[in-house]
Amino acid sequence: MRGAPEDTKLIVVPSRLVERLRAVAGRHGVLLSSYTAEALEEAIRAEELGASLREAVDLYQLMQIQKGANTVQIRRSNLDHLIRELYPTNGEELRRIWYESGQWYGAYLRTKLKDDDVLGFFERVLLVSWNLDEVEIRNDDGDVILRCTSFTMSLENTDLILRFISGVMSSFGYEEMTKDYMRGIATVHYNLIHNK
Amino acid sequence: MLAAEEDIANKVAEMAKGRGATIFQTVNAILEEALRVNNMGLALKEVIDRRGMLEKAREMGLTFTVERLLYQVVDTAYDHANKQMSQLWLEEGRWYGNYFANKRDNGLEAFNEAMELLTFGTSEFAVEEEGENGVSVACVGERFTQGFTDLFSMFIEGVFEALGYKKVSREVSKGIIRIRFEQSR
Repeated sequence: MRGAPEDTKLIVVPSRLVERLRAVAGRHGVLLSSYTAEALEEAIRAEELGASLREAVDLYQLMQIQKGANTVQIRRSNLDHLIRELYPTNGEELRRIWYESGQWYGAYLRTKLKDDDVLGFFERVLLVSWNLDEVEIRNDDGDVILRCTSFTMSLENTDLILRFISGVMSSFGYEEMTKDYMRGIATVHYNLIHNK
Repeated sequence: MLAAEEDIANKVAEMAKGRGATIFQTVNAILEEALRVNNMGLALKEVIDRRGMLEKAREMGLTFTVERLLYQVVDTAYDHANKQMSQLWLEEGRWYGNYFANKRDNGLEAFNEAMELLTFGTSEFAVEEEGENGVSVACVGERFTQGFTDLFSMFIEGVFEALGYKKVSREVSKGIIRIRFEQSR
C-alpha cells in the first residue's frame, strides 16, 4: 500500500473492478478517486456503527420493505405496559389482533418478495424489528421449526408474538402443528399445507 | 492500483485486521458492495445514515410494530382505561422531553429527529417556531385512529412540557393534531 504522493497510499484492486468503478464514477460525473474514497469512508462509518457495509445495505433493504408495510416504532416499555394492562381482561382480543396483523403482514411480505426466500427474510425481521435475541427458522421440505428467544420478553408478550408469527406463517401457507413456550422462549412446529 | 488518502487507507487496514482478512479482500468487498448499492439505485450515504438512525432508535428503546396492530391495541386500551392511558402517554412524553433536553442544546431539533424515527414517515409532522416564545406543532396521520390521535397528542404535550413549554391551544380530531405552546421558563 505504499505510494509515491505524500499522504497517499496505493491500494491494489483488480483491473476489471477498477473499470466497473470508473464507468459508474463517470456516470455520476465524479473522479474515480473521489468515488472510491467515498465508498471507503462510508464503509469505515458503517464499521464504526457496528456493521459491515454489506450488513448495512441488507438492513437498509429490510427497512425499506418494513416501511412499505407501514411499520412504526414505539418505545418497548410503552408497548409492554399496554399489553400488561389489557391482557388479563382482553387477552383473547389481543391474540386475535396479533394473529390478524400477522396474517396481513405475511400477505404483504409474500406479495412484496414474490419468489424470494420469505422465511429467511422473516427470520431477519424477527431479529431486527422485534428485537428478539435469537431466532432460527429451519425449513426441511415444508416441515418448519421456528425457535426464538428473548431475554426480556414477558409471558404475555411471548404468547402474542407467537400469535403474530402464526398469522404470518398462515399467509405463507403453513399450519401450526405444535407449540411449546415459556417466558421469552418458544419452539413452534409448522407444516406446509399449500403453496401460496 | 487505486490511490487513497493515508488515513483512510490506514483505517481500512485496521478494518481488515479486525476481520482477519487481507487489505486486498477487504477493499474488494467494499468496492463490490458500493457497486451493488449503485445498481440498486441507492446512495451509500443514505444507506449508512439509515443504519445510524436505527442505532439511535435502539438507544431510545424503540421497537418496530405493525402500524395497524399498534393502533388497534392503543384503541382497545383507550376504551378500557382512557384516563390512565392518557396519563401514561403524557408521562411517556415527559420522559422523552427530558431525554431530548439532555441530549442536545436544542431539544426541539432532537424532538424533530425523534419524530422521524417514531413515525417512520407514516405521518406528516411539522414544528414551527412562532414569534419569540411560541411553537406550533402539527401532525397529520391519515391512518391514525381516534384513540391513537388523542394519546399521541398527550405524548406531544408531555414532551413540550418537559422542554419548558406550556400549552396555549389544542385542536385534536381523528388523524389531526394541532397544538400551540409558549415557553414557560
